[in-house]
Amino acid sequence: MKLLITGVNHKTAPVEVREKLAFDDRSLPAALEQLRASSGIAESVILSTCNRVEIAVTTRNGYDPQADVDRFLSESRSVPLGDIAPHLYHLADEAAIHHLFRVAASLDSMVVGEPQILGQLKAAYAAAKAHGSVAGFLEVVLTRAFSVAKRVRSETGIGESAVSVSYAAVELAREIFGSLSDKRVMIVGAGKMSELAAQHLHRSGATRIFVTNRTRDRAREMADLFQGTIVEYDRFLAVLPEMDIVITSSGAPFYIIQKTHMRRVIEVRKNRPVFLIDISVPRNIEPSVNEIDNVFLYDIDDLERVVEANVGERKKRAEHAEEIIEAEVDRMIARLKAREVAPTIVSLQEQLEQMRRAEVARLRGKLGTLTPEQEEAIEALTRGLIAKIAHGPISELRRQAAEPEGVQVIESIRKLFRLES
Amino acid sequence: MHEMSILWLRVAVVLYSLGLLHVLLTVIHRKRERVFRVAMAAFYSGVVVHIVSIVEATVATAHVPANNFFESASLCALLIAVLFLFLYWRYGYESLAVFIFPLVFVLALVGELGSPVGPWTDARVRGAWLAVHIVLVLIGYAALLVTAATSIVYLIRERQLKTKKTAGLSNLPPLGTLDMLMSRALAIGFVFITLAVVAGSIWASIDVGPGWIRNPRIIISLVTWGLYLVIVFFRVTAGWRGRKAAIMVIALVGCFAITWAAHTGLRNLLSR
Repeated sequence: MKLLITGVNHKTAPVEVREKLAFDDRSLPAALEQLRASSGIAESVILSTCNRVEIAVTTRNGYDPQADVDRFLSESRSVPLGDIAPHLYHLADEAAIHHLFRVAASLDSMVVGEPQILGQLKAAYAAAKAHGSVAGFLEVVLTRAFSVAKRVRSETGIGESAVSVSYAAVELAREIFGSLSDKRVMIVGAGKMSELAAQHLHRSGATRIFVTNRTRDRAREMADLFQGTIVEYDRFLAVLPEMDIVITSSGAPFYIIQKTHMRRVIEVRKNRPVFLIDISVPRNIEPSVNEIDNVFLYDIDDLERVVEANVGERKKRAEHAEEIIEAEVDRMIARLKAREVAPTIVSLQEQLEQMRRAEVARLRGKLGTLTPEQEEAIEALTRGLIAKIAHGPISELRRQAAEPEGVQVIESIRKLFRLES
Repeated sequence: MHEMSILWLRVAVVLYSLGLLHVLLTVIHRKRERVFRVAMAAFYSGVVVHIVSIVEATVATAHVPANNFFESASLCALLIAVLFLFLYWRYGYESLAVFIFPLVFVLALVGELGSPVGPWTDARVRGAWLAVHIVLVLIGYAALLVTAATSIVYLIRERQLKTKKTAGLSNLPPLGTLDMLMSRALAIGFVFITLAVVAGSIWASIDVGPGWIRNPRIIISLVTWGLYLVIVFFRVTAGWRGRKAAIMVIALVGCFAITWAAHTGLRNLLSR
């Protein structure tokens, strides 16, 4: 075994377990130090996010580090091993690489395709690198994982469509307006959902946010979140024409924005489009408003339908992503094997050459004086002989490097020629 | 028409042409205050010179110059210009300028072309002039086709967003971008088509003489240009955008297709 990944994620462990095992940024260097203390462990990386805690280690000389890592987890997090053992998974070599690629490409995430995990993995790698605990095998695998993740993202477009209601609202706003940077957003009724949507919009560049609410304190609270402006509740219809995006989530049991209001708004706006997002139940905006040209009204069900469609789309793309990962794992394994096979070939050639020289030297005394032509003939004969002997094993080594079961064959060849150092 | 009167009218036409610059900038982007002031000053001067021209003609012939189509066109242009100046002075209807400037310019130009400058001095000048006209038309048509194509995409996109069938369509550009593209291409097309109409009218008036205006091809071109002017005007002032604008533009392209046919294919077909 060369590479081992030990960990828990959102599928194998409830949050009560995950939170106990989490490492924060401050405790990370000490933890890496502790792992390095184990003589069999060559490299280590610790990834700790809210959905997963994973430790990847590489070993020296076929050492089995599983017990070490389990003990390390239990001791450093002060949890009895018995409590976490049922949630832990252990993945070795090819399975570990496969897992690592899937994690990096966000296929193992709770929300498949979410973009944060790659950044978190890169940070974990950077921390380990700064600490000096990656160099060599693990580094090769991790950097490959980053480029595989990038390839999956660009080829499948898995992260493109929104899979939450509030984010779907932002996506739709972008489809209507393009850039959101100079757009005005009004929030009518300061609920949790509207806050979330406003947050996404704010982050996407819509910085001019207006808040109106029946109780002024709550409006104040929310306006402070986005450096927004408060609009008096009984005056909000008057400023409506100035708004490009309106989010309603008030508790009013009737339509606070009606078709007649919107007709006037669109006239004042000289037909510039308006995006209305009604996430309140009962609805706050008269549904027939959507019949007016240049008014786009989406209620909570519409947004959920968008999300549903996007989730379906993501599933399809994830299948394609899995195929890419399979292929990339195969390529990685082949490359790693080729890395292993090259030194074997060199030492095989060296070994045979040494034998040849020793034999020639031993026999040379018995042959007496020889003409230069005869000397040359002996050299040619012996060289030709070892080249012929080496040809079979070397081409077999090269061929086996690409095979899944190649490791055993390579090992046998090493044994046959006594290449063990 | 009296010779001095024609000279003055030509000066007025040149002054009016500055207004086109204002229209271009207004449609493409926001209004540029300085450009508008320059255009407005030129327009004022143009009106004064135009009045001088009409007075000259009146004095020379001892009656109001409205004897033929060309004289009427010139007089009509002046009346529209004066009416606009009154509305502008009284109510500040600045946005009307987008419509009035090109209209007055083209009417005055047509009036001026009633008396041709003389026959072609050289066959090569004739050919080159025509080539310029054709190049301008082609650029204008290209811009118009871009507008039409964008309009069609806009309609598809708008339909999708309205009916909320939005899954997997993020490869089309956003509505806002399409609308902007539409308005820019529309403005560029307008400028080139206007220049092409000017070049074409002058060419025809020299080539055919005063009878040029009665040619159906010329009439159909001028009418189509007028329609274009109306669309540009409503887009800028009344904010015709989105679906309505897209449909209007597609209709406009239809009209231009007829004009095109009148100038090329159909003419040969009919004369056979």
